[in-house]
Amino acid sequence: MLKFIPYVFKSLWRHRARTLLTVSGTAVALLVFCFIGAVQQGMLALTSGDDAGRTLIVFQENRFCPQSSRLPQDYESTIAKLPGVQDVVPVKVFTNNCRASLDAIVFQGVQPEKLKAWRDIDLQSGNWSAFSGQDDAALVGIDVATRRGLSVGDKFTIGDVSVVVQGVFKSPAAAENNLIFTQLDFLQRARGANDVGTVTMLEVHLNDTADPEALAKQIDQEFHAGPVGTTTRTKGMFQADTLADLAELIGFVHWLGYACVGLVLSLVATTTVMSVQDRIKEHAVLQTLGLRPLRVFSLVMTESLLLSTLGGILGVAGSVLLLSSAGMSVAAEGVTIAFEPSLSLAMQGLVVAVAVGVLAGLAPGWHASRTEIVPALRHA
Amino acid sequence: MPLVEVIDVSKEYANGEETIRPLDGVSLSIEEGDYVSLMGASGSGKSTLLNLIAGIDQATAGEIIVAGTDITKLSRGKLADWRAAHIGYIFQTHNLIPVLTAYENVELPLLLLPMSSGERRKRVEIAMEAVDLTSRATHYPRQMSGGQEQRVGIARAIVANPTVVVADEPTGSLDDETTEQILQLLSRVNEELNMTLLMVTHDADAGARARRRIRLERGRLMENGKELQTAKLHTA
Repeated sequence: MLKFIPYVFKSLWRHRARTLLTVSGTAVALLVFCFIGAVQQGMLALTSGDDAGRTLIVFQENRFCPQSSRLPQDYESTIAKLPGVQDVVPVKVFTNNCRASLDAIVFQGVQPEKLKAWRDIDLQSGNWSAFSGQDDAALVGIDVATRRGLSVGDKFTIGDVSVVVQGVFKSPAAAENNLIFTQLDFLQRARGANDVGTVTMLEVHLNDTADPEALAKQIDQEFHAGPVGTTTRTKGMFQADTLADLAELIGFVHWLGYACVGLVLSLVATTTVMSVQDRIKEHAVLQTLGLRPLRVFSLVMTESLLLSTLGGILGVAGSVLLLSSAGMSVAAEGVTIAFEPSLSLAMQGLVVAVAVGVLAGLAPGWHASRTEIVPALRHA
Repeated sequence: MPLVEVIDVSKEYANGEETIRPLDGVSLSIEEGDYVSLMGASGSGKSTLLNLIAGIDQATAGEIIVAGTDITKLSRGKLADWRAAHIGYIFQTHNLIPVLTAYENVELPLLLLPMSSGERRKRVEIAMEAVDLTSRATHYPRQMSGGQEQRVGIARAIVANPTVVVADEPTGSLDDETTEQILQLLSRVNEELNMTLLMVTHDADAGARARRRIRLERGRLMENGKELQTAKLHTA
């Protein structure tokens, strides 16, 4: 079969405009497919994993936007005394846009020592001591830095908050790469004295034996009669609840991913059918020379596979390039979904492209291989 | 034993409600090295007989034995393998693959046979030289004249050294001068390469070049005014 590969390539090149259009159409459809897959994976990453189940988020009762949740910071010491609690991290959140946005900036104010202890971040540039030693210092996630063109030493202002970038970090949790960390007390004071002594949420890290659900209930009961009521959920559930509206939209969008697959299938199948119809006589000549019907079938299948696989490779490569270079994300209520490329997503895209190539080639390949030679030779 | 034996072969096909029977129990034998022309009126069934012998059409009844193999008993796949090894087919309209060069067109049948690339190259060069087209090896069919295309078609038919070369109206689409060149080339193929040749033609002058001239009339094969019979085959 390999001996016929040059013939297959030349056959595809014979109608180069048609071939290029099919490949580019396939590439665009696969790019969209992978992009949608990246959004879904980003959503899944927020709601699954160890961190999502073993960390509790304490938020003000009946509040959704981080701007409106104001918990007394001293709740930290009360929660820290509960059995099963390993540590409590008070977090002040400030975002320039509480609604769904593709370019929301989310600041998280955290005490430097707690940030270092509980967030798995790797500084790509800058240093910790500069961050800890300067009041208005900020560590910027790599995706925000890419999107906004920020580097160490830059001043950055959003609304009332002005910071100096003292480090750019990368985190294995893709969503964190869209955050900007500042010192807690800086962010509490940044928008006036009204926020001093309050935090947006408390991150409760549990030890191995603690029951997250039981502890969440216990925390809420503890503050039920207090000045500010709380709603405590696992981090995964908190993020899922916060992004519920977006999740519904993302759930719908995944059908568009399937539509893209259907589009590729019809595109490649149409091109392959046209190619076979153009060459009824040529296939009969090849069979006269001694090509087995199965080999004619294989030739058509190879053409179909090449079209879709080439388009798939271009589309997947394009999506990887786009997703890795643009640092894209969508945020709502201060929670960010990062669109990250992944090997599994790339493989999924390629498998889809190959599978579609096989499916698209089946019927025309079968038709070409079953053609009666003599009538086909008379074909104009 | 004859190289080709056609024994009591019939072919019929439906045309609407009508059944057409272009061949009705015909028999024919061809010896190794023969040059046979098959003539007859249009629609007499001569191309049908040629296609049956070439293994690209199926007989309704009878046996066709080529080099000891009854090809009517072969499956589609086996028949394709058999054609690759035993048949060289020259078409009326050349039927070269337009995206392949002259060299690649001639090489095509060899890709189906177990052969090293060196051996393939050697055989293609010999075939191209035999049809005097070495200088056109890299040309595509669209860059060649009808006569040159047909010579490439002949090179493609002989390159695998087949048991039988069949030619279906090989000069049907050519002018007189080119027809003469092609007929001379076919005679050389038969005489110098000692290849068995069966040519279908409606042109009496072309048919006269063959050593044996057979006519197909009303579904019967006639040679020298007599009908060819099965019984005569094995004594021929």
